Amino acid sequence: MVDSKARGEARASGPTVADTLLGDRCPAPKPLLESRYEFLGDEDIPFSRYTSRAFFEQEIERVWGRAWQWACREEHLQEVGDTYVYDIGPYSVIVVRSAQDTIKAFLNSCTHRGTRILAAEGSGYSGGFTCPFHGWSWQLDGTIDNIPARWDFPHVCPETHDLQAVSCERWGGFVFINIDPHARPLAEYLDVLPEHFAHFPLERRRIRLHVEKTLPANWKAAQEAFMEAYHNFETHDAPNGANAQYDIFGKYVSRFIHNIGNYSTEALADYPGDKWRNPPLTEHEILQILSVFGLRHEEVPKGETARAVAAADLRERLGEQWGLDLSGVSDSLMLDSIEYHLFPNMFFFPGINIPMAYRFRPNGDDVDSCIFDLMILEPLGDAQQHPEPPEPVRVGIDESYTVVEDLAWLGAVYDEDTGNLQMQQQGFKTSRKAGLTLGNYQEARIRRVHMTLDEFMSGADTRN
Amino acid sequence: MTNAVYRHVARLADIPAGKTLCVVVEGREILLCHTADGVFAMDNLCSHAAARLCEGRLKGHRIICPLHGAAFDIRDGSALSRPASVAIGTYPVKLEGEDILLAWESGAAELARG
Repeated sequence: MVDSKARGEARASGPTVADTLLGDRCPAPKPLLESRYEFLGDEDIPFSRYTSRAFFEQEIERVWGRAWQWACREEHLQEVGDTYVYDIGPYSVIVVRSAQDTIKAFLNSCTHRGTRILAAEGSGYSGGFTCPFHGWSWQLDGTIDNIPARWDFPHVCPETHDLQAVSCERWGGFVFINIDPHARPLAEYLDVLPEHFAHFPLERRRIRLHVEKTLPANWKAAQEAFMEAYHNFETHDAPNGANAQYDIFGKYVSRFIHNIGNYSTEALADYPGDKWRNPPLTEHEILQILSVFGLRHEEVPKGETARAVAAADLRERLGEQWGLDLSGVSDSLMLDSIEYHLFPNMFFFPGINIPMAYRFRPNGDDVDSCIFDLMILEPLGDAQQHPEPPEPVRVGIDESYTVVEDLAWLGAVYDEDTGNLQMQQQGFKTSRKAGLTLGNYQEARIRRVHMTLDEFMSGADTRN
Repeated sequence: MTNAVYRHVARLADIPAGKTLCVVVEGREILLCHTADGVFAMDNLCSHAAARLCEGRLKGHRIICPLHGAAFDIRDGSALSRPASVAIGTYPVKLEGEDILLAWESGAAELARG
């Protein structure tokens, strides 16, 4: 049973993701052919990291107060005065297009007596900022504008009472903020993302759908449910993902690539039962599964594969729908679940048919729940401008994703992904065993996040 | 609005989709909001500090006050965020071709103003 290979070197049997990509009719761009992994350890991860209030409060200060995180998309801020209020734990940040080509961010707190200046989270608008308490006001660039009864505040000056600036940078059409006044530049955290996403720019995407749901688990447990495809067999009753590729690009960025439209029977060799192995699915049966994508073919022509047929059909249909030439887009980008993670809590999918962005963040001061923002980022047609983004659809903690009609087939999938979370959060607290055990390869991304989290918690990352 | 009559207040082409237009009816400012779901009409003044909503921004079904950022649902006038808490008056609208017609009860505006 136990592989004699050095720790972390064992892999699923059978063809790899790279084998699939190299065999595709329309070849994958270079970044998808890269592979980078190193063994990071096999110690258990303490459950207390998911349940302890003291740990949570330290995360608020050391992680959420110091890490770069995306607050919104640039498309939320199309006109001067457009604002976006981003709440994270106890913090609240106003992001604003303060001039045609300038986006700034400020703490959402009056410099007089501390009142929040904008009440509602999400997109908004301000002609200028005015505190609702005593009417102090600031220009959009944060400079103090007017103080009623100015005579009573001779001790107030712009240096001390302008709005408190927050570091703000942009990448991939996202607006990132960092509350730490000593934050290092965002570029130092992005690792391979700029180089890889030059091949599939997220700036040229628009939010087609934004769903926000509260989930009944700590933010880390929730995001970790999305960091591996090992769960596909049991959670989704699906055969693919057992041979997924996992890459660790550095301290902050990791990736998986999980093929859609084929699977490895060998990789399922020691999974229970004969399902999908004996007999394996035919190419026709695989195409039937892929038909939820809206394909033109109902049969796989002789000598073809379901994967190639599905990629070609999607290229044609979506290209026409969006006014885009997708003829050169690889089968992998068309179909696969390709997921990059950026520490601490952000996911970016460059794929065309699986084009998501995720964000998981604490739900106020609750250790045991979190907020999951899910965006579907659809490619923009050539020369098409970003339209006004849709308002987020808010789904209750006990509601099913299937209430969101626009999610179509994905609604049931997200229900499966999130359906284990409450039981996991409860299970953390009842276990005699002190921590969770991770696979050396398939769950290495989770370990990488915890290692970087440790560096933030100790101040080693942010205070050097 | 039992005695209301529909009166012409603007043409659809006067309001780009996603934008607003302020019109004056019997001395009262009315905000017309052109959304993907049609045109909606409401009083132009924020119920919190009486800022003119035509100087704010329409986002989906929300109109946002330029002064303190309070948002109102243009479909029913309800206040969606602090510091506003009181709803704003709304008016039925119908379209006849390109014409925007507003249900209007003469004298009601004065009564509403007290």
